[in-house]
Amino acid sequence: MSISSPAKSPTFRPSPHVIRLGLVVLFIAVLIVIGSVLTDRFARSTNFLNIYEQSTDLALVSLGQTLTILTGGIDLSVGSQISLLSVLTSGLINGDGSLVLPVCAGVIALGVLIGVVNGLGVVFLRIHPLIVTLGMGAVLQGVALLYALGPAGSTPDGFDALAYSRVGGLSVSATITVLLYLLVAFLMRRTATGRAIYATGDEPAAAVLLGLPVRRVTVLVYALCGFFCALTAIYLVSRFGTGQPYAGTYYTLESVTPVVVGGTMLSGGRGGVIGTLLGAYLLSVLNNLLNFMHVSTQIQLIAQGLIIMVAVSAYVERKKVA
Amino acid sequence: MSEQALPAGVKTAGIRRHSGELRALAARWGIYVFLVLFIVVSGIVAPSFLHARNLSNLVIQLVPLALVALGQCLVIMARGLDLSVASVMATAAVVGTSFSGDNHAVLPIIVVAVLIGAATGLVNGLLVTKRQVSPFLATLASMIVLQGLRFAWTHGAPTGAMPPFFRALGTQSWHQVPLSLFVLVPIAAVVGIVVHRTILGRKIYIIGGNPVAAGLLGYPVAVITIGAYVASGCLAAIAGLILGGYAEIVDNSVGSGFELDSIVAAVIGGFALSGGRGTIPGALAGAAVLVLVSNIVLLVGLPVQFQIILKGLVIVLAAACYRTR
Repeated sequence: MSISSPAKSPTFRPSPHVIRLGLVVLFIAVLIVIGSVLTDRFARSTNFLNIYEQSTDLALVSLGQTLTILTGGIDLSVGSQISLLSVLTSGLINGDGSLVLPVCAGVIALGVLIGVVNGLGVVFLRIHPLIVTLGMGAVLQGVALLYALGPAGSTPDGFDALAYSRVGGLSVSATITVLLYLLVAFLMRRTATGRAIYATGDEPAAAVLLGLPVRRVTVLVYALCGFFCALTAIYLVSRFGTGQPYAGTYYTLESVTPVVVGGTMLSGGRGGVIGTLLGAYLLSVLNNLLNFMHVSTQIQLIAQGLIIMVAVSAYVERKKVA
Repeated sequence: MSEQALPAGVKTAGIRRHSGELRALAARWGIYVFLVLFIVVSGIVAPSFLHARNLSNLVIQLVPLALVALGQCLVIMARGLDLSVASVMATAAVVGTSFSGDNHAVLPIIVVAVLIGAATGLVNGLLVTKRQVSPFLATLASMIVLQGLRFAWTHGAPTGAMPPFFRALGTQSWHQVPLSLFVLVPIAAVVGIVVHRTILGRKIYIIGGNPVAAGLLGYPVAVITIGAYVASGCLAAIAGLILGGYAEIVDNSVGSGFELDSIVAAVIGGFALSGGRGTIPGALAGAAVLVLVSNIVLLVGLPVQFQIILKGLVIVLAAACYRTR
């Protein structure tokens, strides 16, 4: 997605990112066709609505991850953030309905705060974001385990509505997630901050020379990542009824998958959040299809790994990063 | 993110100011000073720390991490990253239990495990060099695929036993010297000599420090980079066999956490993810620091959770100390 794409080129050539989005959509379509051929229960609206609902958690956490990756960074503390925030959510609410709002607000504030610390670490210590967030992840995991060694607390009646309520068959939480994606996509395109995020990832030195607020933008993306981790944690507590200190472990690396499958380059500056949403749907459809085929978890893992390999080697990166 | 530094050991006399020289000196020797101080303080705080039995146990825990860290260093030197090492370790351990379980199977086990490690490294290296996939993703994908293959092979629950040979290698000592040390020392010596005393080693530093320049100089960048990943895979396989022997009960999580711990050890030892920096003895000292931190938390009676918290703080502190201008 280059800023200066020629407006009046003689032959219309879509940008590489648009082609990648097309490929993801095509791949989803292929999976749906395969699914409908294999079993008549796959291509039913109830199943599609389930896939939609099941994509929520991964889509939410990957939205924040996309932003850090677009700046050329990465947040490897998302798993521990979700673990800590989820166990705090249910542990502090502990079945008391009057505490739901203050605790959720506090958890979101804590997520943002953790993100700000990550961002300040990246900016002022000038250490690779991978190291900063790895260290933060370890610390948060330790704190989560100090707070509780297993599932803690409980949620009041009705709290599960957050994850399970549907309007007209559509999952509310999944729809809110889509709206968040659209909002972020709009802001990324239409605001100076959004363009600065792209510029920071594309060519940090040039962004500094242009006078762009690189430091502020960097802190902002990690803060937003913490914000989305907090939302994911609250969603998971609502879905499972309780939080536990390993609730997020799976998301640390998993959150990167939709981002790269959706065409965002790990080297930063190229890609976008809509690709990530499509990537999350692709994985959701794939897992659903493999479940229908009664394929074991191990084959699902293999399929997922191969998809990452195929996707990233199809999208050749121009810059290399660690 | 961070700027390139000259490889450690390159003479820069007269170029840097005194403060720069002091800084370079601290970066070069700080880890060893820290390690010695740590050991002395630990011995004072918890006298049981220096008991031969505790030290011997520490070395037994150190060897697998040090082996993986050696491979990780080679990859990081070439500006890469290997997240697949833990998966290779578990796979090697599972291979170890998949044969007859007596000592006749030792050689085939080693051959098969090392071949799997080498094949994984080859795939990683090819993806990184030929397809320009970022090392993070290439090795993440091969980690997941290998994990799936392993689950499919074991149906989720490995059965069978490691041959007594590996059990002895992982747990026993000869006059208080752990047997596994006899594996680590020669391997570490070879890796150290290749890295620090040969032209090949110099080339790996230059590839990591400036891949474009290395290409222009006519270095076989792709071959050397692939070689680093293959070496990392092989070393992880050997570490997996030793750890499998130590753990006795082999399951699919043997080695889990080693991918990150090995990176942490390398970073503590002065390696930068931007490549071209760090020394092999430094990384071994880094691995030792990690093992010691975990040990001292238990010896002074802190909750076990502080192991992870301290590890997180140590990695950030170490990286901040090595930061170059």
